[in-house]
Amino acid sequence: MKMQISSCSLSPAVKSRLTAAGFHFLSELRGLSPAHICAEAGVSQQEALQVLQAVRGGASMRGGTSGGGEVGGASVGPPPSLTALQLLQEEQSQRSIFSFCSQLDATLGGGLPVGKTTEICGAPGTGKTQLCLQLAVDVQVPVCFGGLGGQVVVVDTEGSFLLQRVQDIAGAVVKHCSLLVEDDEQRVAMTTFSVETILSNIFLVRCHDYVELLAELHLLPDFLSEHPRARLLVIDSVAFPFRLHFDELSQRTRLLNGLAQQLIAMATSHNVAMVITNQMTTRLRGGQSQLVPALGESWGHAPTIRLLLQWAGTQRLATIFKSPGHPGATVQYQITSDGFRDADQSEQPPSKRPRTHTVQSAAGQKDSNQSAAGQRDSNQSAAGQRDSNQSAAVQRDGNQSAAGQRDSNQSAAGQRDSNQSAAGQRDSNQSAAGQRDSNQSAAGQRDGNQSAAGQRDGNQSAAGQRECS
Amino acid sequence: MDWDQLELHPRIISAVRRCALSVRAVLCLSAPDLQRLSGLSRSDTQQLLTAAATACRRHAPLPALLSRGLQSSLRLSVGCPILDELLRGGLPAEGVTELSGESGAGKTQLALQVCLSVQYPTQYGGLNAGAVFISTEDSFPVRRLQQLIRGQSCLRSDVPPSLISSLNFSDRVYIEHAADLASLQECVSRRVPLLLARGLVRLVVVDSVAALFRSDFLASDWLERNRQLLTFSAALHHLSREYSTPVLCINQVTDVFSSSDSLVPSSSTGTPTVAPALGLAWANQVMVRLMMWRLQGTVSRGDQSSAPRRLQVVFAPHLARGGRGAGVWREGVRGLTETV
Repeated sequence: MKMQISSCSLSPAVKSRLTAAGFHFLSELRGLSPAHICAEAGVSQQEALQVLQAVRGGASMRGGTSGGGEVGGASVGPPPSLTALQLLQEEQSQRSIFSFCSQLDATLGGGLPVGKTTEICGAPGTGKTQLCLQLAVDVQVPVCFGGLGGQVVVVDTEGSFLLQRVQDIAGAVVKHCSLLVEDDEQRVAMTTFSVETILSNIFLVRCHDYVELLAELHLLPDFLSEHPRARLLVIDSVAFPFRLHFDELSQRTRLLNGLAQQLIAMATSHNVAMVITNQMTTRLRGGQSQLVPALGESWGHAPTIRLLLQWAGTQRLATIFKSPGHPGATVQYQITSDGFRDADQSEQPPSKRPRTHTVQSAAGQKDSNQSAAGQRDSNQSAAGQRDSNQSAAVQRDGNQSAAGQRDSNQSAAGQRDSNQSAAGQRDSNQSAAGQRDSNQSAAGQRDGNQSAAGQRDGNQSAAGQRECS
Repeated sequence: MDWDQLELHPRIISAVRRCALSVRAVLCLSAPDLQRLSGLSRSDTQQLLTAAATACRRHAPLPALLSRGLQSSLRLSVGCPILDELLRGGLPAEGVTELSGESGAGKTQLALQVCLSVQYPTQYGGLNAGAVFISTEDSFPVRRLQQLIRGQSCLRSDVPPSLISSLNFSDRVYIEHAADLASLQECVSRRVPLLLARGLVRLVVVDSVAALFRSDFLASDWLERNRQLLTFSAALHHLSREYSTPVLCINQVTDVFSSSDSLVPSSSTGTPTVAPALGLAWANQVMVRLMMWRLQGTVSRGDQSSAPRRLQVVFAPHLARGGRGAGVWREGVRGLTETV
């Protein structure tokens, strides 16, 4: 495709001189020096430079040969503008990446948001790498279980990504999902969800210093375009290569700011969640020393959400100390051989669940008898009162179907109860193994409707609840 | 790395040469800065950055399943099956392991034992090479090493005696002395890489890390001390990754007056009132942190008796927090089967 001189944005006098000299297409002017153009066409030096700029501008818009194809997303023009309503709908249809700690997910509104940057800080040994590994496995949970079914890229700067540990966590998640299988779609999904496939969907890069890290981040947008299923990028940790002594701190700040901008751009354009791990350092203020996240104040503005993991006595606490959408809250967690989990807490006795849920549970029963894909339809059923309890966050429904154990932990959370009652009903029809059966013990009046299998499970009550956690 | 090795238009290469930028320096500049410095167009600058990035990265992201070959999943056994079980195989082959404890806890004993266990073939938990022991405090305990060598057949009952007698243990333990920080840095950056490159050693032990850093600096010089510490730790990490070698650093402990900070858990049972020395800066560099204590009482085995020790995992990416009892015997450090 050749662009004609007459169609580009130059003054008419210049255009007429160029055509008089015999140039008709912009491509003919490419590669000529300004002096040459002056001599040939009789234009001034200034005008010749303008002509060359127009040539280059035309070439790069078409991705011409002189520019090369590597302009990436930057030259594709500004994205179309969206209204706030469209953004809200997009956000609500977007699922979050859950960790297996239901309290943390509840405070984050479902889990870590996709398309935003989250930072996890903490002293050594508090579990930052464990949380990252857990998220890397959780993002791959198939969609029919409430996960995202995505791939993950892990950038490891410390060398703490050990396959042994990932295999433990992956095995625990696969086992958990296989206990939740209820219908054919999930059964089919489980055939492709195993420890091997989980490991093959984690793309690992090792960076040994900050230059390699910058190089890797520069090439990541292309990688993410080639792997559109990638939903999570983990950098563990971003502080390690930058803790070395820099001759001027301003250079470090500049590099970090550039890095942050690249991450934010990648997160929004490729719809990928960014999880970054940071270290802690001491800051002297007056005569006192304080523990603060490393990398300085300006780095603190880069992530959208910041989590702090710390010890308090023998308890592990996770605090959200920066988030635009959630109040600062502290939750307890623990790290078991299965990965990142809720801390062991005493459960609320099931009898405290409100009675209104019997109405909804009856509706749930009917739905499950009628629908083919039982659990999802009952979540979306015409039982309007249930939906009103749950706010428009569709992803929470999806999440709960996957992590049955979380339902059992949070008997207090009103909206989850309604899902549990429906789940309990379904199990009585299908006599599936595991967690849901134990939930049936909660609503005493429903026991009478159940088969012998249901009766048995009703006796399991607290013991069953504990199994899931 | 030279610019000529990259696939770039000669015009771009000459522009970059004119501003005297190296390949690595180009990545540290932002695209607009680079454009201004070199005078190239935007698309040219993007090409330049992409070529430099491709040259600087080690490898493209690989599925973790395939990276089993890249990452060494080998573990270096410490010589006792009970302690190996605590460590899920032993010391990881890539990464810095720290062992801290009070004096007399048995850290040097365990380090000497690991220096011997590295020399066995991989099927017995070793790495088929020698060890370099960098001593900063006292002189190297040669007689104890000889005693341990004599006791290897007793300690390692899983290895056939013919193999044990065929190995010349003391020949493959290289001892370095570092009396001050400068010689320590030189040792780690010059002499040890030579041994590693020739494949003579595959274990680096530093006994102890804290001694020189604590003695050479005043309390007010902590900034300089941290800088030196980070340089030293960067050198150790480089060695560990480049040659796939476990690095074992022995550390001293310091008293903890108030456990009000949120760095470590303060348990009510068996509260450690000591913490590893060198602070948070060093703790951030360590991958696996182990601690060793000396407990009251005695345990006996046959005609020997020893004060019981406890080896505890403080943190590690792949290990649960837990501990095992151990005793120090003539033939080495052995875990105790009953829980202490």
